[in-house]
Amino acid sequence: MFEMDGEMDKKKKKKKKINKKEKMEGMKKEMDIVSKRQTPQGFRGLTSAFAAQVLERDGPNELKPPKGTPEYVKFARQLAGGLQCLMWVAACICFIAFGIELARGNVTCFDNLYLAITLIAVVVVTGCFGYYQEFKSTNIIASFKNLVPQQAIVIRDGQKNQINAHQLVVGDLVEIKGGDGIPADIRIITSQACKVDNSSLTGESEPQTRTPECTHENPLETRNIAFFSTTCMEGTVTTGMIINTGDRTIIGRIATLASGVGNEKTPIAIEIEHFVDIIAGLAIFFGFTFFVVAMFIGYAFLEAMIFFMAIVVAYVPEGLLATVTVCLSLTAKRLARKNCVVKNLEAVETLGSTSVICSDKTGTLTQNRMTVAHLWFDNHIHAADTTEDQSGKSFDQSSETWRSLARVASLCNRATFRPDQEGVPIPKRLVVGDASETALLKFTELTVGNIVDYRERFKKAVELPFNSTNKFQVSIHELDDPLDLRYLLVMKGAPERILERCSTILIKGQELPLDEQWSEAFQTAYMDLGGLGERVLGFCHLHLNEKEYPRGCPFDPDEMNFPTSGLCFAGLISMIDPPRATVPDAVMKCRTAGIRVVMVTGDHPITARAIAANVGIITEGSETVEDIAQRKRIPVEQVNKRDARACVISGGQLKDMSSDELDEALRSHPEMVFARTSPQQKLIIVESCQRLGSIVAVTGDGVNDSPALKKADIGVAMGIAGSDAAKNAADMILLDDNFASIVTGVEQGRLIFDNLKKSIAYTLTKNIPELTPYLIYITVSVPLPLGCITILFIELATDIYPSVSLAYEKAESDIMNLKPRNPRQHRLVNEALAVYSYFQIGAIQSYAGFTDYFAAMAQEGWFPLLCVGLRPQWEDVHLQDLQDSYGQEWTFSQRLYQQYTCYTVFFVSIEICQISDVLIRKTRRLSVFQQGFFRNRVLVSAIVFQLLLGNLLCYCPGMPNIFNFMPIRVQWWFVPVPYGILIFVYDEIRKLGVRRFPGSWWDQELYY
Amino acid sequence: MASTEDKPATKENTSSWKDSFYNPRTGEVMGRTASSWALILLFYLVFYCFLAGMFALTMWVLLISLDDYVPKYQDRVPHPGLVIRPNSLDMSFNKSDPLKYVQYVKHLESFLQRYNDSQQDNNEDCPRGEYFLQDDTEDMNKKACLFKRGFLSLCSGLSDTNFGYSEGKPCVLLKMNRIIGLKPRGDPYINCTVKKEGPIQMQYFPSEGRIDKMYFPYYGKKAHENYVQPLVAVKLLLTKDDYNKELPVECRVEGTDLRNNDERDKFLGRVTFRIKVVE
Repeated sequence: MFEMDGEMDKKKKKKKKINKKEKMEGMKKEMDIVSKRQTPQGFRGLTSAFAAQVLERDGPNELKPPKGTPEYVKFARQLAGGLQCLMWVAACICFIAFGIELARGNVTCFDNLYLAITLIAVVVVTGCFGYYQEFKSTNIIASFKNLVPQQAIVIRDGQKNQINAHQLVVGDLVEIKGGDGIPADIRIITSQACKVDNSSLTGESEPQTRTPECTHENPLETRNIAFFSTTCMEGTVTTGMIINTGDRTIIGRIATLASGVGNEKTPIAIEIEHFVDIIAGLAIFFGFTFFVVAMFIGYAFLEAMIFFMAIVVAYVPEGLLATVTVCLSLTAKRLARKNCVVKNLEAVETLGSTSVICSDKTGTLTQNRMTVAHLWFDNHIHAADTTEDQSGKSFDQSSETWRSLARVASLCNRATFRPDQEGVPIPKRLVVGDASETALLKFTELTVGNIVDYRERFKKAVELPFNSTNKFQVSIHELDDPLDLRYLLVMKGAPERILERCSTILIKGQELPLDEQWSEAFQTAYMDLGGLGERVLGFCHLHLNEKEYPRGCPFDPDEMNFPTSGLCFAGLISMIDPPRATVPDAVMKCRTAGIRVVMVTGDHPITARAIAANVGIITEGSETVEDIAQRKRIPVEQVNKRDARACVISGGQLKDMSSDELDEALRSHPEMVFARTSPQQKLIIVESCQRLGSIVAVTGDGVNDSPALKKADIGVAMGIAGSDAAKNAADMILLDDNFASIVTGVEQGRLIFDNLKKSIAYTLTKNIPELTPYLIYITVSVPLPLGCITILFIELATDIYPSVSLAYEKAESDIMNLKPRNPRQHRLVNEALAVYSYFQIGAIQSYAGFTDYFAAMAQEGWFPLLCVGLRPQWEDVHLQDLQDSYGQEWTFSQRLYQQYTCYTVFFVSIEICQISDVLIRKTRRLSVFQQGFFRNRVLVSAIVFQLLLGNLLCYCPGMPNIFNFMPIRVQWWFVPVPYGILIFVYDEIRKLGVRRFPGSWWDQELYY
Repeated sequence: MASTEDKPATKENTSSWKDSFYNPRTGEVMGRTASSWALILLFYLVFYCFLAGMFALTMWVLLISLDDYVPKYQDRVPHPGLVIRPNSLDMSFNKSDPLKYVQYVKHLESFLQRYNDSQQDNNEDCPRGEYFLQDDTEDMNKKACLFKRGFLSLCSGLSDTNFGYSEGKPCVLLKMNRIIGLKPRGDPYINCTVKKEGPIQMQYFPSEGRIDKMYFPYYGKKAHENYVQPLVAVKLLLTKDDYNKELPVECRVEGTDLRNNDERDKFLGRVTFRIKVVE
């Protein structure tokens, strides 16, 4: 098994290498083409003819859906499960039997035909349902198509044309401006302040600058490549050459990866398959055994086949799959009310058995917007309120320095709110401007108040926007005091660059000379904030000399005819994409529930680690290997890896690790953070966790998360921030993007697992009283006590609602304090459950049925001993005067109606016992009295429904001839009641024993 | 936490299939040790004994609650069925070949053994045209009214031991099913018809196919040990024209409130049979 995985890894790596090689070669080749065609006056682009050739060769620039299994095969697969096959066989036997009867001219009895049709209907209906479920969750490639831009401006034959994006070919020159989608993977040739939003691809929250220089070997890291499907946020005309189109682009590869990843079978599907196989096996075993027995006793072959069919029908729980589906969809509905939309029903339970959650950082754990987190002024680090609803504590704002710092921050800022947003809370308002300016704008709006008005008062004289060479931004304003005619210069930028330009520092409103001591204080603060993974900006200002720069002084931003040194340092402001308020609590809850939370992000290690520490993924006091090395002042290699609870692994390190090493790392460090990971690596991490036997949940929102989301046992996508690709690949969507909703999901998942266990136990029990009549009928030759159609009525009508109602049962204990179930040990249907249901409760029910059967026979004149061996005469169509125990003579028809009476009586017995059964199944350990009899209203109404339906079937006119139900005497309803009471009392005794003597023989054998 | 994610020991996996039957290391057979098996089997022994005991008890209570003479309910048999002897709904024979009809003759002969004079002489000669009610007698053993073979005259098998089969004019006996307490109102008689263009002559014994009321009510096997059902014999007086043809004959109980036209039960108060006599 492991070898195979290893091989797979190798294959993947090989593939990757080949891809890279291809890509590099491709790039070179196209580069040559372009340079040849380049003319001095600019880019002429490809000729249309050549482009057409390349298009012919490479195909259109679009994502091709992978060749999937044809729909009819998928549908057929749904009809060919273990139980379904058995039911097909049973239906065929019914048809054959009916055909033979028809050929013999004996068409008094259409039972076999009905039965065959019903069986086929059951198979087809459940099949359709399953197919629909599968159909909904497979349409993944479509979502990627939505990402792709439709139109692009291309330069061909030296002319600009707007063409359909899928006509683009490798080598084409395209033009992009702010707001456009990137039409393919392109290499930037010329650019001007171009920024692209890669968040969906890499998980980086901030727009990334794109320039023509190559800054990194890795195509994902380098500055000069912009990717298909990302958007250009700002920048005037940028030209780029297409290096990859269609499926060969990064996004195309992710799409192929995502659609290529097979849907993992959910744990509940595995469980259900597991026990369906067992049941199908047992059904065949029973059927075949009694087929042989029947042949041996001397029945005809056809009769023996019909017995086989009947045993299959009796033993197979036809309604079970429907029950499970309904139970799961009820929970799905309940979850939907709590903002978790479940796409794949089976995923409802998966969260409950999840033992590892691999969470993306951006947008899942964090708010996905830069927010001011800390300020440094007056030689102190102040924490700002980063909560989404501004409910946190704020810092002391009384200092004079703060006022100056706030003034710089407010004025030296080009971002503005979009109009008409008065009603919207400030953190949620839309802003025009880049991420950090937005953060500052919102921050100042919150702390200073009405920024529009504030800026109005300080009229702007000139402005020099941020650029990458200067690394600062300056503007000059008039003061709001009309008597003070000085200009105010405000500047912000990279802290070290700002500090270089300052000669004084503002401490408690006093300008002090910036000496060594303050420089050191600044360095410490800068390092501290940087260590928190925050982006730090420095702020300074200067009151310009009134005489040198009088009002109306012509400032020129290009010449910078104003002082840019000797400024006064005001402070530092640091920003981060802060964690959501609910996340730390949710992570804590996951931990109590025995679930490990692993962060897997595309962002930088420092930021990742800071957020991990912030939300509790890395707990307080946990150290990484590097931390220990630093503390002990020893080299990293000497640290015992086992001592480190936490571990941060970056994508670069991960690339060099073998899968065994990754497994080892996951095993030895309980607190893991993966940073700078590629989509492929996310997949590898998930696979590694799965290899370790964990049930893995993956949360994410970006396109880059989609392969991992698909690979995970349960993929959870974010509803608001999530890309369509992520949503499509996921099994579950959190509508409020709230990680905390996962905890609700876990709770519901665990509850439904427990309740499904109860439902299944309830459903399986009645198969024994359905089966035993046939066994007795074949071996002892009594008149048939229970017909196939009646069995189907129990399975598909009366017992469905009660078994579903068990899904509404409350948890018996605090399920969120337990460890997740071990899928290898805690099965849905274990031996104890089956044995207890079949051989104990089922046995009691059989006795109840036979008691009632013999009572009905005896009271109508057929004593039990006479019944034994009576079958051949009883079923002889030509015998119209069979004598009963009293000497009365019965025609065949009269006997048949008596037989139907027996069916009904047996049916009623099973119903009565099943009422008792549903009551005992409410709990597995607690007494029903502790759980409360009537607390589950649905269950009570289900019992009432069951009784009403039973009565309808018995007493509705016309039933005898259609469905073989007879209006039976009232007292026969009460014959099985003692057995019902016995079931209840016996189970209470069982539960008492289980509670009183945990671990005892009784507990081991009888607790399921 | 990491310790819960143990690797499955691959070695165990390979041998687990065999081990599930017999594990030599722990001595487990089918996953249990001998003592464990003994304990669980003992548990089930006790459990099933208890259940069997409970079943026996309820059966016993049921049986003692039953009357020996009259069934508790008779709602499934409100009307009697009508059957014929010989017990075949599709008769076909060659009147000149005794081998073909001997089975019918034998059947009738054996059926009529209970109606021999030797048996019937012990029975009462009841007053005709009245129910023979014995409800008020203390004695649980009821008397039966006599029905002699002789009542069937030509079809009694006494004068013609071949019941007319040899001459192509076969006798068919009809009897109504016994039902305890059944008292048909009116004057029941059997009427047979042949679905054929020309009517066929038939002779009924006793005359007009009457079933006398004195044979009702029936008191059950235990109380009415010597009871015999009244019979009606029909002699089909077939002519040459009727030979070599399959004749559908329908007989009904008429003149009473007994049902003879039930849609589903074709044997309730009526019977249809086919007869074909080959020359």
